[in-house]
Amino acid sequence: MSKFDPLKVTEIHQHLHTHLPSDSALRVKALESLLVEKGLVKSETIDAWVELYSDQIGPKRGSEIVALAWSDAEFKNRLMNDAPAAIDELGFLGTATGHLQVVENTPLVHNLVVCTLCSCYPFSILGIAPVWYKTAAYRSRAVRNPRSVLNEFGVEIDDSIEVRVWDSTAELRYLVLPQKPEGSESTDLKWLASLVTRNSMIGTERYLKINSNRDI
Amino acid sequence: MDGIHDLGGKEGFGPIEVDEDHVAFQHSWEGREWGISRCARAPHISIDWWRHCRELIQAEDYLNRPYFDSWAQTDLSTYINADMLSIEEIKTGKVDPSLAKNPPVPIKLNLEYLLKNHRENAARFDCPNVRESFFEIDQLVATNRNGHCGHTRLPQYARGRYGVIYKYHGAHVFPDLSAKGIKTYQNLYSVGFDAAELWPEAEGRRDRIYLDLWESYLTKVIL
Repeated sequence: MSKFDPLKVTEIHQHLHTHLPSDSALRVKALESLLVEKGLVKSETIDAWVELYSDQIGPKRGSEIVALAWSDAEFKNRLMNDAPAAIDELGFLGTATGHLQVVENTPLVHNLVVCTLCSCYPFSILGIAPVWYKTAAYRSRAVRNPRSVLNEFGVEIDDSIEVRVWDSTAELRYLVLPQKPEGSESTDLKWLASLVTRNSMIGTERYLKINSNRDI
Repeated sequence: MDGIHDLGGKEGFGPIEVDEDHVAFQHSWEGREWGISRCARAPHISIDWWRHCRELIQAEDYLNRPYFDSWAQTDLSTYINADMLSIEEIKTGKVDPSLAKNPPVPIKLNLEYLLKNHRENAARFDCPNVRESFFEIDQLVATNRNGHCGHTRLPQYARGRYGVIYKYHGAHVFPDLSAKGIKTYQNLYSVGFDAAELWPEAEGRRDRIYLDLWESYLTKVIL
């Protein structure tokens, strides 16, 4: 059984610091080999999880949710009130979205999501988090000066717009519902979903664009 | 715990590198670690204990090593702490048969199965029994001035501040005790703070910061 002793774990980390190979690939290989040899895991199951999040599950799911919310007022209503149930209708409920919350951008409000204490992220609808989301630079500054963070992503926010930052300190996870770009009156869900970027669903992008070369 | 992980508002980390390839895993070892974390975490531990073990990584490693590298180190530390793995085994690569004698039998799952049953991974942390909210929406609250030595989800930057209850989420597993192996439930609220309440330089800015906080982090403020 696990002993919940932080001092002991600190000491373990000191040993690991000294004895683990420096190369991350070798570290993970050492972990996997020992777990497999001890009979604690099957490599095939790890393979399947890698495939699942490399090919099947990613931000495309989030963009489908957004497109549907833009076109179907009743779905949007369900999404805003009980997001886990609403995404379950689409088959997208899964890792880390059991307590999903959706926050909506409006002409006067912009939402930005961060996790300052670790790097919580709604995996089953956005896939693996981008590298920048997990950096100390983003985690430290998103809550302190969100406007400068947005500037670095090329987003200018007018002073009249309220920025709301959501620090994911519990098991709730956040999805930003971006504004539908002007001129996107089409109801073709596939086309609408193609306008939605991953960053717009985290809040580091605000003004989505219509690709003018694209056939509607 | 007042550790290096508690990054909100800390300064000196420079600009954010915003450009990167839109691939799930930049390196194949990241995918392996993701997979291990999904199907082979040390048994009988809570997510909160796992997070606490990650927070306990030495500061230089926490800040400088890649993200999924820190997950691997956390997994190793939890296995070693549970006496299922040893530093010696890592050094030699040879399995010590006296450790992890009766391991749980791992199941071989394929992609089709995982995709079909993915919704089972949507873990719930709320209490099945209905609780009553202690605070009203829009109630002014003060956060605790201090944290404590163990795991907690009240970040330093939001301690000893005034905020307003924005939403009630029912009772959720209380992480401070869950990280010690004790599962209890406590009311959880989204609490909104004016940026200027948190940061001296934010005076006049319209921004608001929302945190999800448990009831014992908060005290009702009567004006």
